[in-house]
Amino acid sequence: MVDNADLQLARRKIRDRSVALLLVGVVLLMPPMVRIAQIDTTVFGLPFALVYLFSVWGLLVVGGAMLARPLRDGEKPAGPPDRDNAPN
Amino acid sequence: MLSVNILLFVCLGYVALLFVVAFIVDRRTRRKPIRWLHSSVIYTLSISIYCTSWTFYGAVGSAARNGLEFITIYLGPTLVFIGWWWLLRKLVRIGRAHRITSIADLISSRYGKSPSLAVLVTVIAVIAITPYIALQLQSVTNSYQVIVGGDDGTETAFWIAAGMALFTILFGTRNLDANERHHGVVAAIALEAIVKLLALIAVGVFATFIVADGLHDVFEGVSAETIQGAGDIFGPRWVTLTFLSATAIICLPRQFQVTVVENIEERHVATASWLFPLYMLGMTIFIVPIALVGQSVMPAGSNPDLYVLTLPLAENRNELAMLAFLGGFSSATSMVIVAAIAASTMVSNHIVMPVALRLLPSRAVSGDVRNLLLTSRRFSIAAILGLGFLYFYLSGGSDALAAIGLIAFVGVAQFLPSLIGGIFWRSATRTGAIAGLVIGFALWAYTLFLPSFDGHFILSANVIDHGPFGISLLRPEALFGLDHFDPLVHAVVWSVGMNALCFVVFSSLSTPDGLERLQAALFVDVYKSTTGSASNISAEVADSEDLFVLAQRILGGNPAKKLFDEMAASQGMESGLPHPTDAVVARLERELAGSIGAASAHAMVTRIAGGQTVSITELIDIADETQQVLETSRQLEEKSAELERTAQQLRVVNDRLRTLDAQKDEFLSQVSHELRTPMTSIRSFSEILMKDEQIEDKDRSRFVSIIHDESLRLTRLLDEILDINRLEAGVSKLDLIQIDANDAVHKALDTIAGMTRSAGVKIRTDLENGPLWIQANDDRLRQVLINVLSNAVKYNLAPLPEILVRTSRIDTFIQIDIIDNGGGVPPELSTSIFDKFARGNRTGRNHGAGLGLPISLAIMRAMKGNLTIEVTPEKTTFFRLSFESATT
Repeated sequence: MVDNADLQLARRKIRDRSVALLLVGVVLLMPPMVRIAQIDTTVFGLPFALVYLFSVWGLLVVGGAMLARPLRDGEKPAGPPDRDNAPN
Repeated sequence: MLSVNILLFVCLGYVALLFVVAFIVDRRTRRKPIRWLHSSVIYTLSISIYCTSWTFYGAVGSAARNGLEFITIYLGPTLVFIGWWWLLRKLVRIGRAHRITSIADLISSRYGKSPSLAVLVTVIAVIAITPYIALQLQSVTNSYQVIVGGDDGTETAFWIAAGMALFTILFGTRNLDANERHHGVVAAIALEAIVKLLALIAVGVFATFIVADGLHDVFEGVSAETIQGAGDIFGPRWVTLTFLSATAIICLPRQFQVTVVENIEERHVATASWLFPLYMLGMTIFIVPIALVGQSVMPAGSNPDLYVLTLPLAENRNELAMLAFLGGFSSATSMVIVAAIAASTMVSNHIVMPVALRLLPSRAVSGDVRNLLLTSRRFSIAAILGLGFLYFYLSGGSDALAAIGLIAFVGVAQFLPSLIGGIFWRSATRTGAIAGLVIGFALWAYTLFLPSFDGHFILSANVIDHGPFGISLLRPEALFGLDHFDPLVHAVVWSVGMNALCFVVFSSLSTPDGLERLQAALFVDVYKSTTGSASNISAEVADSEDLFVLAQRILGGNPAKKLFDEMAASQGMESGLPHPTDAVVARLERELAGSIGAASAHAMVTRIAGGQTVSITELIDIADETQQVLETSRQLEEKSAELERTAQQLRVVNDRLRTLDAQKDEFLSQVSHELRTPMTSIRSFSEILMKDEQIEDKDRSRFVSIIHDESLRLTRLLDEILDINRLEAGVSKLDLIQIDANDAVHKALDTIAGMTRSAGVKIRTDLENGPLWIQANDDRLRQVLINVLSNAVKYNLAPLPEILVRTSRIDTFIQIDIIDNGGGVPPELSTSIFDKFARGNRTGRNHGAGLGLPISLAIMRAMKGNLTIEVTPEKTTFFRLSFESATT
């Protein structure tokens, strides 16, 4: 029973992280926060707005890649894996 | 300049290659699935048909005109995919559970398999994607003209549309797949996805590092306004565009097709959740550099939408221009193929099939329904491309690519409220969905779609500028005076906003019918529900024969036979048709739904069954009952698990009681037996003494001494029994003092010195240095030691009997080992030897009552020590007394 509870907690943590990642994406890419990109400067010769948007995008990709597998694996025992399965 | 011939040759060669890929994959898949083709990478690449020629050409144009705004088109889908766990996963699960064939099928299925809703969604979808298909025609036409030259775009566009229609018909309708999955097409568009990515990156690298001198050079002196566009880039338009693109990735019929319908395994969505955003990142990373380089290098007035192509041409890089053209061609064809397949599926399933069903006689449907379906799909494809061409022709083909694409985005965004509401909100009803869709569609057409023709279609330029009948409040782009918006934001606010509002209001005002309620439960709770099939055919009236004929017509002869054989086998029949049970009818309906959509499948099966349906309330009751039964059984399971645990504990306790009871009985019988022996001899000798007067004095005194001895033995035995009982019950508390274990050993050895000498046993000692302080009762410890030692003497049958007494300190423990060379206690007796009245089976010279060891053990335990039998490395056993070391 302890294992089960621990497992459920771990799964919930993963799901929480994925919500957090989504929230970070939405907040950083939507006004008013996205106006950070309007800082008039350059990074290694590139306009800051370009660097900012692509960095956030890249961050989302990396975060998504890190969470994809645990999310997917955590789900398996919870639901019927295929449509032809018996009730679980 | 590239010649027309080379261009056509390369294009045809490329198309032929795609064909070969699709053909081989289709054929191989039918024999044996190809594993890598069913991978998540192929799945992701197929989703990338999101990047059409709008991305390939239009994004650069958009970047040149409006700066970074183009990026919103990719941020929306990125956010949707990052949050795949909440939305996409559920859509895919529902799509698989209910064999959904299109977005129209999903929405109609959810709202009670409603045919009218399916028609409505299909019509909206076809109209909404028309501008999008026109966009592809326009971009391919433009790119062709750039290379070949020539002014009359209309003729070129017509031939391109005709070519694409032919291409799509040959590709997409070669067979009618039971699952509406097209493995060959998916493989071909995956290949196209790679081609367009490579082409765009190649042009980007060329522009950045060959035309310009690296990234520094590209961005040298570029103003913030060029990058961020004129005006407020991060305003309402930014939010609207992100929202629209996020919507489009779900609601565009072709995206729904590749993401949900063509999904082979649910876990692929997990990989696509980051791989698809990464793909889009790759597609867009060079957009801004290409746009900037194009602006600085190309002559003023050249179309920025075509920089990807004109830049290599201007630098005389014909091979690169060819690759760029192929990239754009790939983007356009892959989108058109999938969009046309998706739309034609909807048209044939939701419009043609119901009409055909109505027109054809009910039971004897003459001709092959499969043929009808395929034919209707082919015509639909041609018609959809025809519409696209018509839009291109009417709108004049002059708009920027991005603007056309966005019209389509807003059109399909009308599905969002019904879709999201349908899978998350149980109270959403068909009435609400229809109301929302109709209002949203009408507002979209009025505020965005019709004005896009610039007065050439239905709405005149005058109406667009001044409102119908001169009523300025009804101006399409400033409805009711809301004129301080961008036209796109205006259209989205009105159409999607009113759509959602009507959807919610009408849903709350209307009551769903039974099938709707059932479907709502199955969709919203898809993770909880089982197979998600709802048969509502009265089984008795359905005839297996008729069902079989129906299946043959739609699925084809062999698949139908296979399906029915399978169902018959599951009923335990070796041959013949399965009994038309509810399960069989439900399964058949599900299989048919995979080919012709849920609403049509439902209608057909119902007709075969003579239109008799189980009352829906009954069905709901069944579903509710199932839920209740599930709940009750869950509670029962919990209870019974608890009872089981209690019973287990009781069993354990009971077993122990039984054992104790048996031990007590045995103890009593042993005690009686032990007492009986001396009693018998006392009685018999006293009888002799009483009756026989003639006994000599010598015998008389011998008998009396026997009686005396036996009485002593009896007393000792009783004392021992009392002693052990007191010790075990903890009644007699032993006074513990600090003593030296070595000292105790010496005293004990002194006591039994006489006994050992007479038995000829040699005693050796191996004592740890220094005093070994323990808490013990001096007398009782000596009693234990003497008992164990005397056992070792008595039972030692070795020719040269020898006993080793060893003391040692291990960590906080003090141990006294008594090791004899007589072989020790057999290991199998090492626990029972401590039982009362047990004796080792070594034949001895002497027998005690068998209470010595139990008493010793009880004493040791009373002194918080222990008496155990240990095994030496030589596999013989010895006794060990262990104590906790007392602190000095």
